[in-house]
Amino acid sequence: MNVANGGFQPPSSADFVFSPFIGNSVYLTKPIALVFLSVIVISVFFIISARKAAIVPSRLQFAGESVYSFVRNGLGRDIIGHDFAPYVPYLFTLFTFILVNNIFGIVPFLQFPAMSRFGFPLVLALLTFFVFHIAAIKHKGLGPYLKEIMFMPGIPKFVYIILTPLELMTFFVTRPVTLAVRLFANMFAGHLLLLVFILGGDELLQGAIGLKLISPFAFAIGIALTFFEFMVQCLQAYIFTLLTALYIAGALADEH
Amino acid sequence: MSQNNGPETGPKNTGDGAAWNIVSYLLSGLIFWGGAGWLLDHWLGTKIFTLVGLVLGAAASLYLIWFRYGRQ
Repeated sequence: MNVANGGFQPPSSADFVFSPFIGNSVYLTKPIALVFLSVIVISVFFIISARKAAIVPSRLQFAGESVYSFVRNGLGRDIIGHDFAPYVPYLFTLFTFILVNNIFGIVPFLQFPAMSRFGFPLVLALLTFFVFHIAAIKHKGLGPYLKEIMFMPGIPKFVYIILTPLELMTFFVTRPVTLAVRLFANMFAGHLLLLVFILGGDELLQGAIGLKLISPFAFAIGIALTFFEFMVQCLQAYIFTLLTALYIAGALADEH
Repeated sequence: MSQNNGPETGPKNTGDGAAWNIVSYLLSGLIFWGGAGWLLDHWLGTKIFTLVGLVLGAAASLYLIWFRYGRQ
């Protein structure tokens, strides 16, 4: 790729920064276009799959309903419990949005997961943060909720000095931050890994004859990693939604 | 007052959630008390409190995790 300036420049975080399509507006870049595209893809898919709903589903309707019931039953009902219904739309949107955007990372010509730009997972994590805290405050009231977080029953009084800041930090800082960082880091690392092997393979192909012979191995690993990436992309979408559901379940749980 | 809120009480606290929450607690412990120690070091010009804070934080998280998820 970079034969001209005399050496291979390994992929770096600079590969995640795109210049705008037109002018210099920061809003007209590839990641943003991909996010909009994902919204269109998801909407069109589910509208078409649900439009001609029939008792005997068409193949498309079956696909759409499988995804929906996977989120509704597997993540909503089984984890949140009997009050799960109001949260299903959020979980479903979250899951499909993250999934499609992640998979864009390996779709030819698109090939960029928007979630590898930290802003996107951060906003999603903040949404989850507000959803589960507001659910808890509505369910328990602000005072009892904070008391439940800060003072676990059954611990000697003086230990609260050490544990209370810990609990507060876990609920208000660590949870949203780890949620965002986990998704971001997985997508970032995965994309970088693919770049290393595929750009590296390309570079080897343009080198001396010995290097040309090695390059198929780099491409082979690149292809294998693409499949691996697909798995990671699905898994991360699932985990993000799963954790959101778990936090909501914790917010609605009565006991201690 | 803890054990009679219906059948869902147990699994909720020890299910899938535990594994993920434990990581959050460990991180919180290390970052909060390690950070407090580091600030103290910075302020006093010493070198010992970061370590003390990290150990204290790890111990506190482990205690909390044991208390939340480990007891039967």
